[in-house]
Amino acid sequence: MKELKITLRYFLNSLQMQLANMPAFVMFFISKLLRYGMFMAFLFLLVSGLKNIGGYTREQMLLFYLVFNIIDTLAQMLFREVYRFRPLIISGNFDLVLMKPVNPLVRSLLGGPDFIDLGILFILVAVAGYVISTQIHPSPSNEVIFLLMIFNSLIIASTFHIFVLAIGILTLSVDHLVMIYRDLTSLMRIPVDIFTDPLRSVLTFVVPVGIMFTFPAKVLFGLLSWQLVIVSLIIGMGGFVLSIKFWHFALKHYQSAGS
Amino acid sequence: MKKYLTVFGLSFQNEFTYRLNFILWRFRNVLRVLMTFFLWNSIFSQNRIAFGYSREQMMAYVFLVLVITAFVSSAPSNDNIGGEIANGDLSNYLTKPISYMKYWLTRDWSSKLLNLLFAFGEISLLYFWLRPQLIINSSPGSVVIGVLLCVSAALIYFLVTKLAVMVAFWIPENTWGLMFSFLVLFEVLSGAIFPLDVLPTLGSKLLQFTPFPYMIYYPIAVMVGKLSPAQGLRILLQSLVWLGVGIWLVNKMWKSGLKTYSATGR
Repeated sequence: MKELKITLRYFLNSLQMQLANMPAFVMFFISKLLRYGMFMAFLFLLVSGLKNIGGYTREQMLLFYLVFNIIDTLAQMLFREVYRFRPLIISGNFDLVLMKPVNPLVRSLLGGPDFIDLGILFILVAVAGYVISTQIHPSPSNEVIFLLMIFNSLIIASTFHIFVLAIGILTLSVDHLVMIYRDLTSLMRIPVDIFTDPLRSVLTFVVPVGIMFTFPAKVLFGLLSWQLVIVSLIIGMGGFVLSIKFWHFALKHYQSAGS
Repeated sequence: MKKYLTVFGLSFQNEFTYRLNFILWRFRNVLRVLMTFFLWNSIFSQNRIAFGYSREQMMAYVFLVLVITAFVSSAPSNDNIGGEIANGDLSNYLTKPISYMKYWLTRDWSSKLLNLLFAFGEISLLYFWLRPQLIINSSPGSVVIGVLLCVSAALIYFLVTKLAVMVAFWIPENTWGLMFSFLVLFEVLSGAIFPLDVLPTLGSKLLQFTPFPYMIYYPIAVMVGKLSPAQGLRILLQSLVWLGVGIWLVNKMWKSGLKTYSATGR
């Protein structure tokens, strides 16, 4: 409960800070909207000029992209503080985080959400909702499993970010690691099935970005077996437990360099 | 000239200071190419020709994006100039007998050389892994025009990004905002993700009147034979016009910015 209250305070502080610089807020918001809109237009053009891509129709490709963006934007919004973690570690100011009666993982992970992404998220959810209700028509049970898979994707995203933080403590290098995560995930702007093996298997089961981004949309199309749903949930939870253990391991090796 | 050669050499050595960071940066560039490669690979498994491209032309396009992007967009100046203006570090350079813009242009070209060398290595590895069939236009005219377009592209990129970061003279708290907007437009409108002639004809024609296609799309279009040497020559002239406009604007903005500059933070 205490963690929840503190997280809420982080969120409010972050919102106030971002609103204080309104021109930058608006500029980033428009640029991000432009980026999503243009890639979507490109996909639309691409599939309109062809029968299908990898067996997926135009509407399915659009929904894959929208679901990718919803999950990606949610993760970026919540875990933005990870991008500011390196200066804390190399300056030794992480000591100050450790001294406070707050879980340092909550502070490092959720301490500075990005509210520009919140506005984008509303738009993405509205567009995805429209496409789902008018073009896809999933069954109610698939809708419930879809939401469960989105939750699982957020768990996997947390896992990745916790690993990045922990590796950052051990190696003092975070920036490129978190960007590699971003580049790996951006491969999933198209369904994982479009990649050929062995890359497809690696992206699904080793670095499970395929489970994160492609599986939720496949549930809506009725293309994911219940066995794969269970495997996804096990991978999601298993990875999360491992990441927490790794975080504690890294904390024990924190050397407070620079302070 | 000698002092800039020294800057070039020192900057090249400096790139090796953070080797892991550099290697990870290059790895990220390879990842970016994979998505477009597999997307087009899937499309060409069902179609012989798509949007006027053969499989070989499109695969050459995807591979050349890696090389041209490494050359055009590697620019440490983007990460530094805005901050140096905003926190007053610019004063250190103004007191030295060196042109600030030429100094950063030299450092950018040093970074480009290193990135280009690595990009060729990456291309070779990807080629042996993915075994794509490629068509590159090897006629001497196209090669010369393609290379000149690449040099012009790198210079246009430098000028446009400097226009974006120089807003720091007037709004120092927003050094990154305009740059982010430019990078988004560059990513989508330069042809780095998809060839611009995939767009409806009106859209791709209108883009000629912006600097973006001159940075990635046109140099590659000449190299994969989508544009004849005569068309390439016309594009090269248009590219030079953009270069002239860019130089004029940067000079104007730099002079105007220096009048406003008050070394805040020093």
